Amino acid sequence: MALTPEGLPAAREPGTGPGSGDTRTAGGTSPGSGNTGTADAGWLRVHPGSPFVRGWVAVAALFFFFGRDSFERLLQGGPVFDERFAGRAPWLLLGGGTLLLLTVLGFVLSWYFTRYQVADGYVRVNTGFLFRQQRQARLDRVQAIDVVQPLLARIFGLAELRFEVADAGESAVHLAYLRADEARQLRATILAGASGAAGASGAAGASGGTLSPSQATEPGQPGTAAVEAPERTILTVPPARLMGSVLLSEQGLAIVAGGVASVLLSAITENRSFTVFLIPAVIGLAASYWSSFNKGYNFTVAVSPDGIRLRYGLLDTQAQTVPPGRIQALKISQPPLWRLFGWYRIQINVAGYGLAGSAREGSHRTTLLPVGSLADVLKLLSLVLPDPGTADPAGVFTAGINGLADPTGTPDTGAQETAARQDADGGFVTTPRRARLLAPLGWRRNGFTATETALLLRSGRWWRNLVVVPHQRTQSMALQQGPLARRFRVADLVLHTTAGPVAPRLIQAGLDEARALLDAQAARARAARKRQTSEHWMEPTTPSAQSPAPDTQEGPHHG
Amino acid sequence: MPTEAIDPPGIDWLRVSPKYVTVRLAEWALGNLIAVVLLTLPLVLVLNGAWTWPPLWLAVAVPAVWLLLAVWRLVLIPRQVRSIGYAERDDDLLVRRGIFFQRTLVVPYGRMQYVDIAVGPVERPLGLCTLKLHTASAGTNAEIPGLPAGEGARLREQLSARGEARLAGL
Repeated sequence: MALTPEGLPAAREPGTGPGSGDTRTAGGTSPGSGNTGTADAGWLRVHPGSPFVRGWVAVAALFFFFGRDSFERLLQGGPVFDERFAGRAPWLLLGGGTLLLLTVLGFVLSWYFTRYQVADGYVRVNTGFLFRQQRQARLDRVQAIDVVQPLLARIFGLAELRFEVADAGESAVHLAYLRADEARQLRATILAGASGAAGASGAAGASGGTLSPSQATEPGQPGTAAVEAPERTILTVPPARLMGSVLLSEQGLAIVAGGVASVLLSAITENRSFTVFLIPAVIGLAASYWSSFNKGYNFTVAVSPDGIRLRYGLLDTQAQTVPPGRIQALKISQPPLWRLFGWYRIQINVAGYGLAGSAREGSHRTTLLPVGSLADVLKLLSLVLPDPGTADPAGVFTAGINGLADPTGTPDTGAQETAARQDADGGFVTTPRRARLLAPLGWRRNGFTATETALLLRSGRWWRNLVVVPHQRTQSMALQQGPLARRFRVADLVLHTTAGPVAPRLIQAGLDEARALLDAQAARARAARKRQTSEHWMEPTTPSAQSPAPDTQEGPHHG
Repeated sequence: MPTEAIDPPGIDWLRVSPKYVTVRLAEWALGNLIAVVLLTLPLVLVLNGAWTWPPLWLAVAVPAVWLLLAVWRLVLIPRQVRSIGYAERDDDLLVRRGIFFQRTLVVPYGRMQYVDIAVGPVERPLGLCTLKLHTASAGTNAEIPGLPAGEGARLREQLSARGEARLAGL
């Protein structure tokens, strides 16, 4: 379960820290040390029960450790307290009681010293009573906000809030646990601060990140706090489709193939031992199916002015909010078997989420759509790229997802003819025909096209992929060529983006086209960066408001 | 087969110091010396009669092949160093390297998060340094080795100034 890593340090703390005497004084001065007034008013604590929800494993282990002896004797039919035990009982009780007391004390202290505040365009969190940590993160630096409810927390009506900045490591701010409605309220407050909506409505002339005090300092009170932006459900994934997609996914295919192979081997060699290998395979299959199903169940995509909101989960539920413009790159992919039903999957790179499969997060956080039809995919693309930068977005994207170049390929001469062919294929420029030996299957797929706002890279004949990178999100680019590729005068273009499951790479483009693309893309990215609007996505972008603003606009970018 | 450069035409590349060859040679010597010594160990043991398994031809062939590859790489070093280049354009920095495996990298100034300068033990007496650019992407492996120290410092200041002027968010 997700909470175990958290529980252990919480349980270890009491061993090192019965030093509450000096820390209390420090705790007393800390909130008062800053400037008076609004900055200090909004300090709040997480829910008092949260350390127990986080550290239940530690408490359970304690009971297990001391209860095991008696329990075993009980099972063996002996008396619960034999003489030997009766002699030690006071010591055991004392030891256990002390340990329990220390654990609980540690919980209480860690709870007492964990405080958070949302004010003045920052979210601040203070934690720790021996080793103190004070952390603050700019609201407009938010990359994503998640509200996570593991099963146990859900039973108690609690939720964890994670505030991600572009760090790709741990969450910048990690509040576990709040009451569920409190967590949602806090999310709304943070998003209001980050979007600039609060600044725009409250203090019109102020620099965007500042919240007006009445809105900022009392996130717990619905009356004065920011209202949650209204949201509209875009699509849901029916459980049956999810089940089918999980069964037909790559892992299912691989494991079924392994099973068939082992059964065949046992039949041929008349050796039963091969079937033994099936048992871990089945367990692994069941576990991965369960995890995919649990994480993808009831997957809902909604859109609000604060960005795209994803909700999912059967036992552990999660709600992710990705504000506009935070998606660095996006990949639409289709495993071979999904083609039967026309299903697709969308994965995204978000700076705060980091690499898929890292630590305990798994890949679900970077999934924008676990399974969906072409219509669903196009709908989501229109959310991620509100301005597709082309007159025929559906045609271009469909060509990117399913298209195939003309078998005669893109000839080296005859520009007019080429243009006509490319138009039929959504404008995609594919691997030249001379390099078809390098990619006998994929050469008609591997290609790129650029709209005014994004670069589209497609690849894969059986494993279809389409990568979309908005121009203003390109970090850097590299043109690469090995000796084999040089023989065919082709080159690869790699686009660098933040860590995540999407690694944009244009495979085997003709050298001249790739060279031209490198220059053109650098120019497009440059133009897009100049156009890039403020990170406060709700701020009014009237020219009059922008002209005096370069200093304040520039300010957030430096952090 | 003549090598056709993959970089866009019309760029004046600044080349790194020829003294960087020395650094590469030192690295080459260190790495290959250890490898060859380790690989000849079985040969010595077989010749002594201490080992019976690898057959003599194998014990000879493995270090010989390694040595051959190492010499091949040694021959390539000066050309590889000559192939490293960088160019400052108005809005981005270009870095190229490689002959067989070519790579041309474009880093917009506005995307740079920070600039590193590193000096190794072999580079220091030669007055060289290695400059490294970092963007928000781990994939940007923008390294310019073998810069004269003065040029490295100039480039760092230049890049910082230009990055400041054109800084964009993520």
